Amino acid sequence: MNQFDTIIDAELWDKSPWGMVAIDVDGKVSAVNSSFQQYTNISEQALLGMSEADFDYQLIRTNLIAQHRVKMTTGTLRAVHYLRYVNNMQDELKTAEKMSNIAELLREPLASIYGFAELLLTQHYDEQTRLDLTAILLQQTEVMSDLINKNLEARKD
Amino acid sequence: MKKILIVDDQPIIRKMIRLALNDDRFELEEAANADAAYEIIKRSPPDGMILDVMMPGLLNGYQLCERIKQDPILSYIHVVIVSACGQESDQEFGLSLGANSYFVKPFSLVALATYMKISLLGSAL
Repeated sequence: MNQFDTIIDAELWDKSPWGMVAIDVDGKVSAVNSSFQQYTNISEQALLGMSEADFDYQLIRTNLIAQHRVKMTTGTLRAVHYLRYVNNMQDELKTAEKMSNIAELLREPLASIYGFAELLLTQHYDEQTRLDLTAILLQQTEVMSDLINKNLEARKD
Repeated sequence: MKKILIVDDQPIIRKMIRLALNDDRFELEEAANADAAYEIIKRSPPDGMILDVMMPGLLNGYQLCERIKQDPILSYIHVVIVSACGQESDQEFGLSLGANSYFVKPFSLVALATYMKISLLGSAL
């Protein structure tokens, strides 16, 4: 862990569910946590001192998604690379699709809430029309609330 | 007078768009799905159409848009898609079928009304 100890708590680093690798200002791998070794089957020994380019090449050969790299502009590190292991890509894609469908469902009542609120704000309606439009706003808020409740319940299964 | 056809399966959305386009220079007509809209268009083609995508029936909004834009007699119709399908790929797909514009729900009614005035009347006023 050497210089990395001064930046991130060592216990947090080792126990993180995210696989993490630190790259120093010279562009060499300077620290590797346990999760990264577990996910990639690449040992700390093989990685320490490796150039950033060689490290990137190693990453291409792994079947991992959700990878990110945070670049540093100060200190002894150039970047920290972190990633998450996905057991089942299909499950991950299904979840993403479900979330997308929920977003589309919610956009319908949201569109009317947004639209009627904008009309009330920008148009000069008589009192009765204002009351009618406000009632629609409330009704659409309930529709949206129901959709959220149903979909959150469904996601608990 | 410019005729605009509002196509959406949600009556509340049709009402909202109708209120936003309340202008003496617009004649507004409504359809609850793409099949009904296509019948109206064949009978009496509008100048513009505000079109939802996901609707029950044989045709969806994308298919109706494609049909109109591939018909040399109807292709002049100014088609604006308004949809809850908000991913970039959805928008690209809609525009690739010939839609003139794509508004993602929720959208500003003021922006939509201004857009329709500029497109069909030549002025935002």
